[in-house]
Amino acid sequence: MVAMRDGVVRGIGLALALGYAALIAWLYVQQPQSAAEVTGGLSAAIGSYRVDPAAFDDGLQFFRRDQFAAARMAFERADPAHQDARVQFYIAYSYYRQGWGRFYQDDTLFAQGLEAVNRAIARAPGGRIRVDDPDLQMRSGEELKAELEAGLERDASDFNPASVLRPRK
Amino acid sequence: MTAAREAIALPLVFLTVTLLGGLRIADGVALLPPSLFALVLSVLLLGLLVRCGALAPNRLVHASRSFLANVNGLVVMLSAFLASAQAFNVATPESGAPRVLFNLVYLVLLANTIAASPDRARVLRSLLVIFGSAFIVKFIVLSALSHPAEGTVTRALQVLFEGVTLGSVTQDVFHPATGYIAFGTLMLYLFGLVLLPAADRGGLKPAATYRTSLNTNREGNELEE
Repeated sequence: MVAMRDGVVRGIGLALALGYAALIAWLYVQQPQSAAEVTGGLSAAIGSYRVDPAAFDDGLQFFRRDQFAAARMAFERADPAHQDARVQFYIAYSYYRQGWGRFYQDDTLFAQGLEAVNRAIARAPGGRIRVDDPDLQMRSGEELKAELEAGLERDASDFNPASVLRPRK
Repeated sequence: MTAAREAIALPLVFLTVTLLGGLRIADGVALLPPSLFALVLSVLLLGLLVRCGALAPNRLVHASRSFLANVNGLVVMLSAFLASAQAFNVATPESGAPRVLFNLVYLVLLANTIAASPDRARVLRSLLVIFGSAFIVKFIVLSALSHPAEGTVTRALQVLFEGVTLGSVTQDVFHPATGYIAFGTLMLYLFGLVLLPAADRGGLKPAATYRTSLNTNREGNELEE
Protein backbone atom coordinates (compact mmCIF):
# COMPACT_ATOMS: atom_id res chain seq x y z
CA MET A 1 0.00 0.00 0.00
CA VAL A 2 2.79 2.39 1.00
CA ALA A 3 4.79 1.39 -2.09
CA MET A 4 1.76 2.06 -4.29
CA ARG A 5 1.22 5.48 -2.68
CA ASP A 6 4.92 6.27 -3.19
CA GLY A 7 4.59 5.29 -6.84
CA VAL A 8 1.59 7.61 -7.29
CA VAL A 9 3.42 10.50 -5.59
CA ARG A 10 6.50 9.91 -7.74
CA GLY A 11 4.40 9.72 -10.91
CA ILE A 12 2.54 12.94 -10.09
CA GLY A 13 5.82 14.63 -9.16
CA LEU A 14 7.45 13.59 -12.42
CA ALA A 15 4.49 14.82 -14.49
CA LEU A 16 4.47 18.12 -12.57
CA ALA A 17 8.22 18.61 -12.97
CA LEU A 18 8.19 17.83 -16.69
CA GLY A 19 5.18 20.11 -17.29
CA TYR A 20 6.78 22.92 -15.28
CA ALA A 21 10.12 22.49 -17.09
CA ALA A 22 8.32 22.62 -20.46
CA LEU A 23 6.53 25.83 -19.38
CA ILE A 24 9.82 27.40 -18.32
CA ALA A 25 11.48 26.46 -21.62
CA TRP A 26 8.52 27.93 -23.51
CA LEU A 27 8.68 31.17 -21.49
CA TYR A 28 12.42 31.53 -22.15
CA VAL A 29 11.90 31.00 -25.89
CA GLN A 30 8.83 33.24 -26.25
CA GLN A 31 9.95 36.01 -23.84
CA PRO A 32 6.41 37.26 -23.11
CA GLN A 33 6.16 40.86 -21.87
CA SER A 34 2.91 40.67 -19.94
CA ALA A 35 0.51 38.26 -18.26
CA ALA A 36 -1.81 38.66 -21.28
CA GLU A 37 0.99 37.47 -23.57
CA VAL A 38 1.58 34.44 -21.35
CA THR A 39 -2.07 33.37 -21.29
CA GLY A 40 -2.58 34.31 -24.96
CA GLY A 41 0.54 32.43 -25.99
CA LEU A 42 -0.54 29.34 -24.08
CA SER A 43 -4.04 29.42 -25.56
CA ALA A 44 -2.53 29.98 -29.03
CA ALA A 45 -0.35 26.92 -28.46
CA ILE A 46 -3.47 24.81 -28.00
CA GLY A 47 -5.30 26.61 -30.82
CA SER A 48 -7.94 28.34 -28.71
CA TYR A 49 -6.79 31.95 -29.07
CA ARG A 50 -9.28 34.29 -30.77
CA VAL A 51 -9.00 37.94 -31.77
CA ASP A 52 -11.81 40.26 -30.62
CA PRO A 53 -13.53 41.02 -34.00
CA ALA A 54 -15.35 44.14 -32.77
CA ALA A 55 -12.14 45.72 -31.46
CA PHE A 56 -10.38 44.77 -34.70
CA ASP A 57 -13.08 46.49 -36.79
CA ASP A 58 -12.78 49.59 -34.60
CA GLY A 59 -9.05 49.54 -35.19
CA LEU A 60 -9.50 49.27 -38.95
CA GLN A 61 -11.85 52.23 -39.00
CA PHE A 62 -9.40 54.38 -37.02
CA PHE A 63 -6.57 53.18 -39.26
CA ARG A 64 -8.41 54.21 -42.43
CA ARG A 65 -9.12 57.64 -40.95
CA ASP A 66 -5.36 58.04 -40.22
CA GLN A 67 -5.99 58.02 -36.46
CA PHE A 68 -3.07 55.73 -35.85
CA ALA A 69 -2.65 56.00 -32.07
CA ALA A 70 -6.36 55.22 -31.59
CA ALA A 71 -6.11 52.41 -34.13
CA ARG A 72 -3.24 50.83 -32.23
CA MET A 73 -5.18 51.01 -28.97
CA ALA A 74 -8.08 49.18 -30.60
CA PHE A 75 -5.73 46.62 -32.17
CA GLU A 76 -4.14 46.07 -28.75
CA ARG A 77 -7.59 45.34 -27.36
CA ALA A 78 -8.26 42.98 -30.23
CA ASP A 79 -5.00 41.07 -29.81
CA PRO A 80 -3.67 41.67 -26.28
CA ALA A 81 -1.32 38.70 -26.46
CA HIS A 82 0.27 39.76 -29.80
CA GLN A 83 -0.48 36.36 -31.27
CA ASP A 84 -2.40 37.28 -34.42
CA ALA A 85 -0.25 37.94 -37.50
CA ARG A 86 -2.86 40.10 -39.29
CA VAL A 87 -3.43 42.42 -36.32
CA GLN A 88 0.32 42.76 -35.80
CA PHE A 89 0.68 43.59 -39.51
CA TYR A 90 -1.83 46.43 -39.18
CA ILE A 91 -0.08 47.69 -36.04
CA ALA A 92 3.22 47.74 -37.96
CA TYR A 93 1.53 49.49 -40.87
CA SER A 94 0.10 52.14 -38.53
CA TYR A 95 3.60 52.86 -37.23
CA TYR A 96 4.83 53.13 -40.82
CA ARG A 97 2.11 55.56 -41.89
CA GLN A 98 2.40 57.65 -38.75
CA GLY A 99 6.19 57.78 -38.92
CA TRP A 100 6.38 58.50 -42.64
CA GLY A 101 7.30 62.05 -43.59
CA ARG A 102 8.07 63.77 -46.87
CA PHE A 103 11.36 65.15 -45.51
CA TYR A 104 12.27 62.62 -42.82
CA GLN A 105 11.02 59.43 -41.14
CA ASP A 106 10.40 59.11 -37.42
CA ASP A 107 12.98 56.51 -36.40
CA THR A 108 11.28 55.65 -33.12
CA LEU A 109 7.96 54.84 -34.80
CA PHE A 110 9.69 52.97 -37.61
CA ALA A 111 11.65 50.88 -35.08
CA GLN A 112 8.40 50.01 -33.27
CA GLY A 113 6.86 49.18 -36.65
CA LEU A 114 9.76 46.89 -37.45
CA GLU A 115 9.30 45.14 -34.12
CA ALA A 116 5.59 44.64 -34.87
CA VAL A 117 6.14 43.37 -38.42
CA ASN A 118 8.75 40.92 -37.14
CA ARG A 119 6.16 39.68 -34.65
CA ALA A 120 3.61 39.37 -37.49
CA ILE A 121 6.05 37.35 -39.61
CA ALA A 122 6.95 35.14 -36.64
CA ARG A 123 3.27 34.42 -35.89
CA ALA A 124 2.22 33.82 -39.52
CA PRO A 125 2.07 30.20 -40.70
CA GLY A 126 5.34 29.49 -42.51
CA GLY A 127 6.44 33.08 -41.84
CA ARG A 128 4.36 34.29 -44.81
CA ILE A 129 1.81 37.00 -44.19
CA ARG A 130 -0.39 38.52 -46.87
CA VAL A 131 -3.24 40.96 -46.17
CA ASP A 132 -5.61 41.58 -49.09
CA ASP A 133 -6.76 45.05 -48.21
CA PRO A 134 -7.27 47.43 -51.19
CA ASP A 135 -6.46 50.37 -48.90
CA LEU A 136 -2.87 49.17 -48.51
CA GLN A 137 -0.11 49.50 -51.09
CA MET A 138 2.09 46.97 -49.30
CA ARG A 139 0.24 43.75 -48.69
CA SER A 140 2.96 41.36 -47.59
CA GLY A 141 5.11 41.27 -44.48
CA GLU A 142 8.28 41.31 -46.57
CA GLU A 143 7.34 44.55 -48.39
CA LEU A 144 6.44 46.32 -45.16
CA LYS A 145 9.54 45.09 -43.41
CA ALA A 146 11.80 46.21 -46.28
CA GLU A 147 10.16 49.65 -46.30
CA LEU A 148 10.58 50.06 -42.54
CA GLU A 149 14.20 48.92 -42.67
CA ALA A 150 14.92 51.27 -45.57
CA GLY A 151 13.41 54.12 -43.55
CA LEU A 152 15.74 53.36 -40.66
CA GLU A 153 18.89 53.27 -42.80
CA ARG A 154 21.15 56.26 -43.28
CA ASP A 155 22.72 56.53 -46.73
CA ALA A 156 23.40 58.95 -49.58
CA SER A 157 19.90 58.49 -51.04
CA ASP A 158 18.53 60.38 -47.99
CA PHE A 159 19.99 63.55 -49.52
CA ASN A 160 18.40 63.00 -52.93
CA PRO A 161 15.97 65.93 -53.45
CA ALA A 162 13.75 63.70 -55.59
CA SER A 163 12.94 61.60 -52.51
CA VAL A 164 10.63 64.42 -51.42
CA LEU A 165 8.30 63.33 -54.20
CA ARG A 166 8.03 59.71 -53.10
CA PRO A 167 4.51 58.71 -52.08
CA ARG A 168 3.38 57.26 -48.78
CA LYS A 169 2.38 53.66 -49.34
CA MET B 1 14.00 11.39 2.32
CA THR B 2 10.32 11.10 1.54
CA ALA B 3 9.02 10.49 -1.98
CA ALA B 4 7.08 13.77 -1.88
CA ARG B 5 10.21 15.75 -1.08
CA GLU B 6 12.22 14.05 -3.81
CA ALA B 7 9.56 13.93 -6.52
CA ILE B 8 7.64 17.15 -5.88
CA ALA B 9 9.26 19.63 -3.46
CA LEU B 10 12.87 19.59 -4.70
CA PRO B 11 12.12 19.76 -8.48
CA LEU B 12 9.54 22.52 -7.95
CA VAL B 13 11.91 24.55 -5.75
CA PHE B 14 14.82 24.23 -8.18
CA LEU B 15 12.71 24.79 -11.29
CA THR B 16 11.24 27.93 -9.72
CA VAL B 17 14.79 29.16 -9.11
CA THR B 18 15.57 28.31 -12.75
CA LEU B 19 12.59 30.37 -13.89
CA LEU B 20 13.08 33.39 -11.64
CA GLY B 21 16.89 33.44 -11.82
CA GLY B 22 16.80 34.90 -15.31
CA LEU B 23 14.03 37.41 -14.68
CA ARG B 24 14.99 41.05 -15.25
CA ILE B 25 12.37 43.78 -15.12
CA ALA B 26 13.21 47.15 -16.69
CA ASP B 27 11.09 48.83 -19.40
CA GLY B 28 10.02 45.34 -20.44
CA VAL B 29 10.42 41.89 -18.97
CA ALA B 30 13.35 39.73 -20.03
CA LEU B 31 14.19 36.13 -19.17
CA LEU B 32 17.95 35.67 -19.47
CA PRO B 33 19.33 32.15 -19.88
CA PRO B 34 22.51 31.37 -17.92
CA SER B 35 25.86 32.22 -19.51
CA LEU B 36 28.31 29.45 -20.42
CA PHE B 37 30.47 30.44 -17.48
CA ALA B 38 27.49 30.11 -15.13
CA LEU B 39 27.09 26.52 -16.38
CA VAL B 40 30.77 25.84 -15.62
CA LEU B 41 30.38 27.32 -12.14
CA SER B 42 27.27 25.23 -11.66
CA VAL B 43 29.20 22.04 -12.42
CA LEU B 44 31.87 23.08 -9.92
CA LEU B 45 29.25 23.86 -7.29
CA LEU B 46 27.55 20.49 -7.74
CA GLY B 47 30.97 18.85 -7.45
CA LEU B 48 31.52 20.75 -4.22
CA LEU B 49 28.10 19.72 -2.87
CA VAL B 50 28.83 16.07 -3.62
CA ARG B 51 32.30 16.29 -2.10
CA CYS B 52 31.11 17.87 1.13
CA GLY B 53 28.20 15.45 1.44
CA ALA B 54 25.42 18.02 0.96
CA LEU B 55 24.29 16.03 -2.07
CA ALA B 56 24.46 12.26 -2.19
CA PRO B 57 23.90 11.17 -5.80
CA ASN B 58 23.61 7.52 -4.75
CA ARG B 59 20.52 8.43 -2.71
CA LEU B 60 18.94 9.81 -5.89
CA VAL B 61 20.07 7.37 -8.56
CA HIS B 62 21.03 3.82 -7.65
CA ALA B 63 20.57 0.30 -9.02
CA SER B 64 18.61 -0.70 -5.91
CA ARG B 65 15.93 1.95 -6.56
CA SER B 66 12.95 1.58 -8.86
CA PHE B 67 13.00 3.05 -12.39
CA LEU B 68 10.53 5.81 -11.45
CA ALA B 69 12.54 6.70 -8.34
CA ASN B 70 15.71 6.92 -10.43
CA VAL B 71 13.97 9.20 -12.94
CA ASN B 72 12.83 11.40 -10.04
CA GLY B 73 16.40 11.47 -8.76
CA LEU B 74 17.70 12.42 -12.18
CA VAL B 75 15.15 15.24 -12.39
CA VAL B 76 16.34 16.53 -8.99
CA MET B 77 19.98 16.53 -10.11
CA LEU B 78 19.23 18.20 -13.46
CA SER B 79 17.02 20.84 -11.86
CA ALA B 80 19.65 21.47 -9.15
CA PHE B 81 22.24 21.96 -11.91
CA LEU B 82 20.04 24.45 -13.79
CA ALA B 83 19.07 26.24 -10.57
CA SER B 84 22.74 26.59 -9.58
CA ALA B 85 23.52 28.10 -12.98
CA GLN B 86 20.62 30.54 -12.61
CA ALA B 87 21.67 31.38 -9.03
CA PHE B 88 25.04 32.50 -10.43
CA ASN B 89 23.21 34.26 -13.26
CA VAL B 90 21.06 36.29 -10.87
CA ALA B 91 23.94 37.13 -8.53
CA THR B 92 26.35 38.25 -11.27
CA PRO B 93 26.34 41.80 -12.68
CA GLU B 94 25.11 42.01 -16.25
CA SER B 95 28.08 43.71 -17.93
CA GLY B 96 31.46 45.34 -17.73
CA ALA B 97 34.37 44.87 -15.34
CA PRO B 98 32.17 43.80 -12.38
CA ARG B 99 30.89 40.82 -14.38
CA VAL B 100 34.40 39.58 -15.16
CA LEU B 101 35.54 40.20 -11.61
CA PHE B 102 32.55 38.41 -10.06
CA ASN B 103 33.05 35.36 -12.29
CA LEU B 104 36.73 35.17 -11.35
CA VAL B 105 35.94 35.50 -7.64
CA TYR B 106 33.30 32.74 -7.88
CA LEU B 107 35.79 30.47 -9.63
CA VAL B 108 38.50 31.08 -7.04
CA LEU B 109 36.10 30.72 -4.09
CA LEU B 110 34.65 27.46 -5.39
CA ALA B 111 38.06 25.99 -6.21
CA ASN B 112 39.33 27.03 -2.79
CA THR B 113 36.33 25.52 -1.02
CA ILE B 114 36.68 22.27 -2.96
CA ALA B 115 40.36 22.11 -1.99
CA ALA B 116 39.56 22.80 1.66
CA SER B 117 37.00 19.91 1.78
CA PRO B 118 34.79 21.39 4.48
CA ASP B 119 31.70 19.61 5.80
CA ARG B 120 28.10 20.15 4.63
CA ALA B 121 27.17 22.81 7.19
CA ARG B 122 30.26 24.87 6.47
CA VAL B 123 29.73 24.69 2.70
CA LEU B 124 26.11 25.80 3.05
CA ARG B 125 27.16 28.67 5.32
CA SER B 126 29.90 29.58 2.84
CA LEU B 127 27.39 29.61 -0.05
CA LEU B 128 25.09 31.85 1.98
CA VAL B 129 27.96 34.30 2.42
CA ILE B 130 29.02 34.10 -1.26
CA PHE B 131 25.54 34.66 -2.69
CA GLY B 132 24.60 37.16 0.04
CA SER B 133 27.69 39.29 -0.63
CA ALA B 134 27.19 39.09 -4.39
CA PHE B 135 23.56 40.16 -3.96
CA ILE B 136 24.53 43.16 -1.81
CA VAL B 137 27.21 44.31 -4.25
CA LYS B 138 25.03 43.84 -7.35
CA PHE B 139 21.63 45.01 -6.18
CA ILE B 140 22.62 47.61 -3.59
CA VAL B 141 26.12 48.98 -4.30
CA LEU B 142 26.29 48.76 -8.10
CA SER B 143 22.61 49.63 -8.42
CA ALA B 144 23.15 52.81 -6.38
CA LEU B 145 26.16 53.74 -8.55
CA SER B 146 24.24 53.10 -11.76
CA HIS B 147 20.90 54.66 -10.83
CA PRO B 148 20.40 58.13 -12.33
CA ALA B 149 21.17 60.61 -9.56
CA GLU B 150 18.63 63.25 -8.55
CA GLY B 151 20.70 66.17 -7.24
CA THR B 152 23.06 68.20 -9.44
CA VAL B 153 26.10 67.52 -7.22
CA THR B 154 25.34 63.81 -7.05
CA ARG B 155 24.87 63.72 -10.81
CA ALA B 156 28.19 65.51 -11.33
CA LEU B 157 29.92 63.01 -9.01
CA GLN B 158 28.30 60.15 -10.88
CA VAL B 159 29.49 61.52 -14.25
CA LEU B 160 32.97 61.95 -12.78
CA PHE B 161 32.92 58.35 -11.50
CA GLU B 162 31.79 57.08 -14.90
CA GLY B 163 34.56 59.06 -16.56
CA VAL B 164 37.23 57.70 -14.21
CA THR B 165 36.06 54.10 -14.66
CA LEU B 166 35.46 54.60 -18.42
CA GLY B 167 31.86 53.53 -17.87
CA SER B 168 32.93 49.96 -17.19
CA VAL B 169 31.40 49.75 -13.71
CA THR B 170 27.90 51.17 -14.15
CA GLN B 171 25.14 48.71 -14.97
CA ASP B 172 21.73 48.72 -16.61
CA VAL B 173 19.12 50.01 -14.19
CA PHE B 174 16.37 47.52 -13.35
CA HIS B 175 12.98 47.99 -11.73
CA PRO B 176 13.24 47.64 -7.92
CA ALA B 177 11.08 44.50 -8.14
CA THR B 178 14.02 42.72 -9.81
CA GLY B 179 16.05 43.00 -6.61
CA TYR B 180 13.25 41.65 -4.42
CA ILE B 181 12.66 38.74 -6.80
CA ALA B 182 16.41 38.04 -6.91
CA PHE B 183 16.56 37.98 -3.11
CA GLY B 184 13.65 35.55 -2.91
CA THR B 185 15.20 33.41 -5.65
CA LEU B 186 18.55 33.12 -3.88
CA MET B 187 16.89 32.30 -0.56
CA LEU B 188 14.75 29.67 -2.26
CA TYR B 189 17.86 28.19 -3.89
CA LEU B 190 19.69 27.93 -0.57
CA PHE B 191 16.57 26.37 0.98
CA GLY B 192 16.58 23.82 -1.85
CA LEU B 193 20.23 22.99 -1.12
CA VAL B 194 19.35 22.33 2.53
CA LEU B 195 16.57 19.97 1.40
CA LEU B 196 18.92 17.90 -0.81
CA PRO B 197 19.59 14.33 0.37
CA ALA B 198 22.87 14.45 2.28
CA ALA B 199 25.49 11.72 2.44
CA ASP B 200 25.16 9.55 5.54
CA ARG B 201 28.29 10.27 7.55
CA GLY B 202 26.93 9.40 10.97
CA GLY B 203 26.65 13.06 11.87
CA LEU B 204 30.43 13.46 11.98
CA LYS B 205 32.41 16.11 10.17
CA PRO B 206 35.00 14.85 7.67
CA ALA B 207 37.90 16.13 9.80
CA ALA B 208 36.38 14.52 12.92
CA THR B 209 35.77 11.30 11.01
CA TYR B 210 39.44 11.28 10.00
CA ARG B 211 40.56 11.82 13.58
CA THR B 212 38.20 9.15 14.85
CA SER B 213 39.48 6.64 12.31
CA LEU B 214 43.07 7.50 13.28
CA ASN B 215 42.23 7.01 16.97
CA THR B 216 40.49 3.73 16.20
CA ASN B 217 43.53 2.51 14.29
CA ARG B 218 45.83 3.60 17.10
CA GLU B 219 43.66 1.88 19.72
CA GLY B 220 43.49 -1.19 17.52
CA ASN B 221 47.29 -1.26 17.26
CA GLU B 222 47.64 -0.79 21.01
CA LEU B 223 45.28 -3.67 21.63
CA GLU B 224 47.25 -5.87 19.23
CA GLU B 225 50.46 -4.95 21.04
